[in-house]
Amino acid sequence: MTKKPKRLTFLDILCLILVPAALVLILFFTPTERVMGPVQKVFYFHVSAAWAGMLSFLLAAAAGAGYLITREQKWDWLSLSTIEVGLVFGLIAILSGMIWAQPIWNTWWVWDPRLTTTAIMELIYLAYFILRSSLDTIESRARLGAVYAIVSAATVPLTFFSIRLFRTIHPVVIAMGGSGGSAFNMTPRMLLAFFSSLFVFTLLLLDLVWHRYRLARLEAVNRGEGV
Amino acid sequence: MSAFRDYLSAVWNVLRKDFHVEWRGRQGVPVMLVFALLVVFLFNFALQLSPDLQAGLAAGLLWVSLAFASTLGLNRSISLEQENKAMDGLLLAPVDRSAIYFGKVLSNFGFTFLVGLVLLPVFSLFYQQNMFKPLLVLVLVLGLGAYTSLGTLLAALSIQTRTRDVLLPVLLYPLALPILIAAVEASRGILAGQPITDYQSWLTFLLACNILFAAAGLMFFETILEE
Repeated sequence: MTKKPKRLTFLDILCLILVPAALVLILFFTPTERVMGPVQKVFYFHVSAAWAGMLSFLLAAAAGAGYLITREQKWDWLSLSTIEVGLVFGLIAILSGMIWAQPIWNTWWVWDPRLTTTAIMELIYLAYFILRSSLDTIESRARLGAVYAIVSAATVPLTFFSIRLFRTIHPVVIAMGGSGGSAFNMTPRMLLAFFSSLFVFTLLLLDLVWHRYRLARLEAVNRGEGV
Repeated sequence: MSAFRDYLSAVWNVLRKDFHVEWRGRQGVPVMLVFALLVVFLFNFALQLSPDLQAGLAAGLLWVSLAFASTLGLNRSISLEQENKAMDGLLLAPVDRSAIYFGKVLSNFGFTFLVGLVLLPVFSLFYQQNMFKPLLVLVLVLGLGAYTSLGTLLAALSIQTRTRDVLLPVLLYPLALPILIAAVEASRGILAGQPITDYQSWLTFLLACNILFAAAGLMFFETILEE
């Protein structure tokens, strides 16, 4: 099992090519936004990172459910991996948002509900690691970690809801149109770069989670649990 | 139908037992109450609050002191059962384990609600505005209901860790944040005398939180306690 799967190597190479490609697309292909200027280009990776973070937390909850149903260790490894990688993506989203906010809002941080809930989401999943480290058996780590991951994921949609329910200054780029369809406030070129970065970040998420998952499995083997 | 009656009577018995223990020992509610008052005093000096507090500040102060104080009660309600292995006795009872959960939620809710009811006139006195409003009591019911549903679940989770009850605030506060925001916003609206349409969505939100976290308890309480 220690041999690296060919498909993972392929995914590695794909990410190595596509992440710089997306960057080129964003820097040279998209038009400069009229009001905000070049700093608006942070948006593409910012939203993509936030998306990857949210997605990985949802995957963690799904993996947690998988563990509770099957009681197989592999689901716990997946849950742990997605949360760890998701934390990093969440941090990227927050930091890149700050870089954008400094010139646009004239401050690094506002106590806007959307920002606050994203930061809280990071704290929730940091607590996941505190919880795990203070449990003694592998079984209880997996079981209680799974429950916590599922309950926490319930707050991810609350985070997303909050932008609609709270009065917020965070921009809503993907607005629901009056007729019920969704409208994007972007030019076609912007849309292309936007969806490309979303796709690339999703690939990158899968790639990193896969690596982290293999690491978790190696750790288990190293501890002498049969796989 | 009688199965449902049995279930309800199991819930009722856990609830009655907890109130019995509280009545004999009087170690939960008074401690929470004193603690809540201390929080109010600490904030008063730390933030240099004036007696003619704005509605928003009074609402926030009320909920922060309640949130802090109820952690004590939540921890106690589960750690109490760890003494003399009383929890094992409860778990051996031939009833659905979620009945134990709901009994515990109701007793925790009862205790924190009592604290809240005492705090209202105290706040009215200290901050020179009438906080005894029926709608505010409704917000107390909804907010504390959701808070204790989530809190009881997480208290059962944190008691299994090496650090015991120390972990509860770290797990509970970030996850309970949407509840607190909604409760504070609704209370603020009521205290400021706004029409109900202004904060109706927050009441609905709180109701949804109640259902969501009670469902989480129903699903996971047994998983958390299994050995």
